[in-house]
Amino acid sequence: MGCCVEDEDTASVVTGRRDPPRRSPDAPLAFRDLMDDAPDRRERLLNLLAALLETRGGLTRDEIVTNSSLGYPEAPESARKAFERDKASLRAMDVPVREEVRGNESRYRVDPKEYYLPDLDLDEAELEALHVAVTAIGLGGGGGEGAGALMKLGGLEGSGGMPVAELPVVDALAPLFDASRHRAAVAFEYRGRARRVEPWGLTSKFGRWYLIGYDRDAGEMRVFRADRIDGDVVAGEPAAFRVPDDFRADVYLADQPWEYGQGRATRVRVRIDAGHHADLAEQLPAGTPIEHEPDGSAVVELSVVNDAGLRSFVLGYLEHAEVLSPPEARAAFTEWLEQIAAGTP
Amino acid sequence: MSPRREAESDLQRVLAMVPWLATHSGVPKAEVAARFGVTLEQLERDLGLIMMVGVPPYSPGDYINIDYEGDTVDVWFAPYFTRPLRLTAAEGFALLAAGRALLAVPGSDEQGPLATALDKLERALGVTEVVVDFAAPEHLPAVRTAAEHGQRIEIDYWSAGRDALTTREIDPGPPFFALGEWYTDAFDHLRGEPRMFRVDRVRAVRETGTTFTPVPAAARGTVYNPRPDDRRVTLDLPESAAWIVESFPAESVEERPDGGQRVVLAVSENAWLERLLLRAGPEARVVGPTESAGIGPAAARRLLARYQAA
Repeated sequence: MGCCVEDEDTASVVTGRRDPPRRSPDAPLAFRDLMDDAPDRRERLLNLLAALLETRGGLTRDEIVTNSSLGYPEAPESARKAFERDKASLRAMDVPVREEVRGNESRYRVDPKEYYLPDLDLDEAELEALHVAVTAIGLGGGGGEGAGALMKLGGLEGSGGMPVAELPVVDALAPLFDASRHRAAVAFEYRGRARRVEPWGLTSKFGRWYLIGYDRDAGEMRVFRADRIDGDVVAGEPAAFRVPDDFRADVYLADQPWEYGQGRATRVRVRIDAGHHADLAEQLPAGTPIEHEPDGSAVVELSVVNDAGLRSFVLGYLEHAEVLSPPEARAAFTEWLEQIAAGTP
Repeated sequence: MSPRREAESDLQRVLAMVPWLATHSGVPKAEVAARFGVTLEQLERDLGLIMMVGVPPYSPGDYINIDYEGDTVDVWFAPYFTRPLRLTAAEGFALLAAGRALLAVPGSDEQGPLATALDKLERALGVTEVVVDFAAPEHLPAVRTAAEHGQRIEIDYWSAGRDALTTREIDPGPPFFALGEWYTDAFDHLRGEPRMFRVDRVRAVRETGTTFTPVPAAARGTVYNPRPDDRRVTLDLPESAAWIVESFPAESVEERPDGGQRVVLAVSENAWLERLLLRAGPEARVVGPTESAGIGPAAARRLLARYQAA
């Protein structure tokens, strides 16, 4: 209780300061250990963080746990465990706790330059707009991350907004985003294969999230669906690649299912019956030729690299559409239907 | 939340609160509580915690000086925690993604405060391409305007499930985007009940001159709303048809040893099930009910008739 004289002194200076509920020396240690998450653990963590931010040369574990004002258990083993838990908690909050080994002991510190968020210089209108965005766009998982970010930027300004869109995110996105802004290559498992990718950008289309990046093994740009990445995303060293200034993540995503993939495009003609093509021009890529026939039907010519994508598009019209040419595309389509009609694969 | 996570989340809030309080004096407690999303009781506990923070040698200058006796809060000296903790990767991404997404909603102000906020954020976080692209159906602006002003509209609507075009009057709700499409939760005067409409399937919008009282936005996540009397169909799907489960919330999904799935879907319209079975291919099977078993082959034969006639 070495703090108390000073503390009482403080109490006279600062209105409202109460006597701090420091640990009584008689409290049984084992019990205190169990009370790991009692309110004063929060206090201990805050004071530990303050001490780590203040120190220049770092503090050893011994210096920390024997500082009676921090209130660590007296039994060395319990103190060690409690400190390890606190360190893990700080790191879980993304506090950059640095450990430097000198001789045979580690010194811990938090570099203020790494800890503090730089001033973003956001005005009230900007904070309010961000609050609207965070409430209007549902990213799944209760929206806790966006709200957490707003707290750091100065709390919730204004009253937020109405829900406008749902774009559920998956776990892989945060580490991909982090790697991307640090220009670190990433390794992950995708469709049963290990990939090494330079994450250039992230984009959401059709309500799903995609990673656009340079696949180091394939030697070309590739698109990965974020929700199909299995397990952890492991990032390498920062500043490992450059992204051209004119890079745009969204241009790598095909607009239409029949445009997915690599390979030679085939020109496929499809007829869509009268009464079923009202919104066709708007759905198709700009410049797609559409011929209007005397019977009211429309014939479109599509540039197809993905046969399954074409099939899905045509099947969407049920019997109101027909693959006209080339003969191979027409045959592949009818063969698919014949197999289903026969009821056997 | 586990006790440990709870302690961490309390701490994160307190660490965000100190720098804000240090630059805003005499703020009513109610305002601080609302701003940081806590009850007044929790705020009192947070402030009590802030008062306890000090470093050796614990002279007055080593404590955060705070007064919260009355209805207001004053922090007039904070020797540390002068700035908030940097954003985590997940927080940075969530903020940027939500912001970019809202900017991408057709009709957003691309030069407004949200745009400038995101530019500042990107400058601080490091520039990363985060691009959100929403579809922009032709009649989205008209439906949105009608919803905002409470104007009843007449629409031509294509029901994919029944493969039919109908005309009806609706009182549209504010459009929202979910599962990759724009929807409006509207009151349908044709049926005399609330109905969900896909905005991209609206073929025409006409004014009626009638008005209604706009209702607040629909609760989220109610886009796919099977009715209790919808038929439940059990399907065995091959691995190649995994997209079905990703695209439609199934009532149940069971993984099968061969990599495929057994799923139960609520089906209200035959044409919808036909399309799904035709796209899923010959390896997909209707397990039950038995009267639905022939739907896929029958639809395939109907489509084939067109090719055989030609």
